[in-house]
Amino acid sequence: MASNTIYPARRVITMNPGFPFAKAVAVRGGRVVGVGTVEELARFGDHTVDERFADKVILPGFIEAHTHVMAGGLWQFPYVGYFDRVDPDGKTWARSRTIDEVVDRLVEIESEMDDPTEPMIAWGLDPIYMPDERLVARHLDRVSEERPIFVFHASGHLATVNSAMMRRCEINERTPTPGVMKDDTGRPNGELQEPAAMGLATIALGKLMAAIGSDQAKWGYANEARNTGQTLVADLGTTPIHLDEQIAAWEAVVDDPSYPARVLLAGSPLFGGEQDPAKLAAAAIARHAANEHDKLRFGIIKLILDGSIQGFTARIGWPYYFDPPAGSPENGLWLLPPDAVADIVTTHHAAGLTVHCHCNGDQAAQVFIDAVETALERHPRWNHRHTVQHSQLTTTAQYRKMAALGMCANIFSNHIFHWGDQHRDITVGPERAARMNACATALREGVSISIHSDSPITPMGHLHTAWCAVNRRTASGEVLGPDERISVMEALTAITIGAAYQLNLDHEMGSIESGKLADFAILDDDPLVVDPLQLKDIGVWGTMVGGVAHQAAPRS
Amino acid sequence: MTDHAWAGDPMIHTPIRVTVIGGYLGAGKTTLVNHVLRSADERIAVIVNDFGDVNIDAELIESTDGGTISLTNGCICCSVVDGFTVALDTIRASSPRPERLVIEASGVAIPAHVAAYAYGPGLDLDGVITVVDAETIRRNARSEYVGDVIAHQNTATDLIVLNKVDLVDDDAIASLTAWLAEVTDAPVIPARDGRVDLSVLLGLDATDRTAVSTTPTDTSFTSRTERWHEPIDRTSFEQQIAAFPDAVVRAKGVVRFTDDPSTEAMVQVVGRRVSITAGGPWMREDSQLVIISLVEDEHTADVKADKADRPEDQVAGSTGSASVGSTGSIG
Repeated sequence: MASNTIYPARRVITMNPGFPFAKAVAVRGGRVVGVGTVEELARFGDHTVDERFADKVILPGFIEAHTHVMAGGLWQFPYVGYFDRVDPDGKTWARSRTIDEVVDRLVEIESEMDDPTEPMIAWGLDPIYMPDERLVARHLDRVSEERPIFVFHASGHLATVNSAMMRRCEINERTPTPGVMKDDTGRPNGELQEPAAMGLATIALGKLMAAIGSDQAKWGYANEARNTGQTLVADLGTTPIHLDEQIAAWEAVVDDPSYPARVLLAGSPLFGGEQDPAKLAAAAIARHAANEHDKLRFGIIKLILDGSIQGFTARIGWPYYFDPPAGSPENGLWLLPPDAVADIVTTHHAAGLTVHCHCNGDQAAQVFIDAVETALERHPRWNHRHTVQHSQLTTTAQYRKMAALGMCANIFSNHIFHWGDQHRDITVGPERAARMNACATALREGVSISIHSDSPITPMGHLHTAWCAVNRRTASGEVLGPDERISVMEALTAITIGAAYQLNLDHEMGSIESGKLADFAILDDDPLVVDPLQLKDIGVWGTMVGGVAHQAAPRS
Repeated sequence: MTDHAWAGDPMIHTPIRVTVIGGYLGAGKTTLVNHVLRSADERIAVIVNDFGDVNIDAELIESTDGGTISLTNGCICCSVVDGFTVALDTIRASSPRPERLVIEASGVAIPAHVAAYAYGPGLDLDGVITVVDAETIRRNARSEYVGDVIAHQNTATDLIVLNKVDLVDDDAIASLTAWLAEVTDAPVIPARDGRVDLSVLLGLDATDRTAVSTTPTDTSFTSRTERWHEPIDRTSFEQQIAAFPDAVVRAKGVVRFTDDPSTEAMVQVVGRRVSITAGGPWMREDSQLVIISLVEDEHTADVKADKADRPEDQVAGSTGSASVGSTGSIG
């Protein structure tokens, strides 16, 4: 019989309310034998004591229920965003706060590239933070007159290219495509808005797509998870699960014992997924039955109802946006016809699947909540755990109804820090910004929650996300909506058992208990002891996934 | 009508002309697309949201290859599952290259966003058509959730197909037509089961086709051809087009302007969309313009009469004549 390994720790925070704290955890065969003192655990029999985490704090591995695998692929290209960001190898990419800083960064990268015809791609630019001047081709021409350059914006809806890219892709004053922005003389200025226009930069798009679909992306994704304490990451709808070759590629990667995370692949009709709801449901069920793997999970359906609040494309309730740019439409975009949602949800619901639906705006949330109610009337079913994803503007009344229907919320708390100032001043105004991402309201009304990063939209890292939910500090340092702050314990619950619950994995993970998987986040400090404002700064040693330790990449 | 221009420019790589079909859920977009596929007697490509909704007659299917269905009449049908870019590449690469592409937008799409793809390489936008459900449009237009989407679809369009008119009574049609005349400038074509003549929907040359006649259409159209021997003034020509009566749904032709008499000016009018582009060197005898108009029934005539305060609306009186000879008023 295999021997138990007992890991004494400064403290084990189990997130099991019936046995919240312990001094050690024993592991065998990838599972938790038990928690207690070393002496207690020794009585389970043959064992060794491994002291390497003796000064660490062990928590259940964090579970990120809303990310995208492309987060790992984008790091094949230089980052030019407004905030410092750490890549999967532990390297910190310094922020680029002005157009000059963006150009300087790209000049530096350009000087290291050999083939002068090879296109350069950069990502993460967020013009909302550069209100005085917009990056255009003229700026990028300072980086290179010959090398085509493509700068992908943080929103994913825009890109800026240089003159060489426009020449190579024949984007010129005769290009009629809407979204190709032009200057006063009718010449394209380099900004390409929305997919039809961005798609004209074919050589960049091809390179970007190849990077996103690569094995390197899958590894980068899990390495970033490991570095920040996640042991399971949900790729929410960006892998077409009905395609065998996609699943085979994932299986080959996660089978490597050194692959440092479990991955849940949610099926979706978008991003090349199966569009017919019945076929999509069948694919998700077939994968759940045939391909479910220790480190590869299925059974979740992802739908998208609306756009983003900062892009003014979320469907929000009356009186709509606060101070939108001149000429903006009154409200945002639907990605599905509201009248079609109940039938689609019913199909997945009746098949026994759990639906996670992207609803940034409260109007979108209402359509989804009503659709779940209809599905329940048609097919009464307990324990479905259908989840409002993002849930940024969900109202108190909506949370009450969600509680009554047995729904969950995965709240986009990172928005408070990344765009909270803009939400207060521009998108929804002070009152609604104060109740955005209302974790306290959700919990008060009895809704089980998690919180998320939507990586790559904001960086993955659950201590940072918990910090956002606990402190509600914007980038400028203001506390936005203090009454929606939650306690550290509530935030830790959200990022562990709360996330596991809405992914139907709470019987296996999300707490450290006898019989559950040995998935741990191993921290340098105790989140229940440090000043809550320091939560995001706690060092992460790494993780343990199924009893296998994965040390975070050294920071550089 | 021996209208060479109607058949398109003889250049080898004429851009594929793209029609975007929009309209809210249940309006009958898919039915209309099916009508196009069944009626087509030339190679038309179609991009649909979802194959599942297109119930193509089994005997019409020649082969299926992943995201593409080939039909026995030469048409091809691509799904948008891998994105517009992939579907468009498939269509551009197919042989023989189709001259026409119909894109079925999703029920909540903003037509301009979809139409943006129709400006890609080798493509040219013909027009945006919004299909409207006569039974539900008024209710949907008042909806808190989709009222703004419906309003946008009704205004950002070149033609409106008022579908399912067989399901509402005459009073309702009259009231709907009056309402539509208030909310949109686009000509309104009543239809049932999406059956509208392809010469109107897509601008196909009616004289070169026989298949359409096998599919009954419910609304009558009339076409006439105007000819001018001398070059004509561009500005007054444009003014004349802008003043077309509401019954004019399409016009197409090749014109010689006084400001550039050695070059063909290719004219396309779809509802309110007017496109005049330079063609090849002028080699023709006459300028000519084929104009297709709706033959108005009583309801629409009543509504139009209320609006007809412009003297140009008198032109509507010429509908019913197969062809009107050259008028001196433009040249």
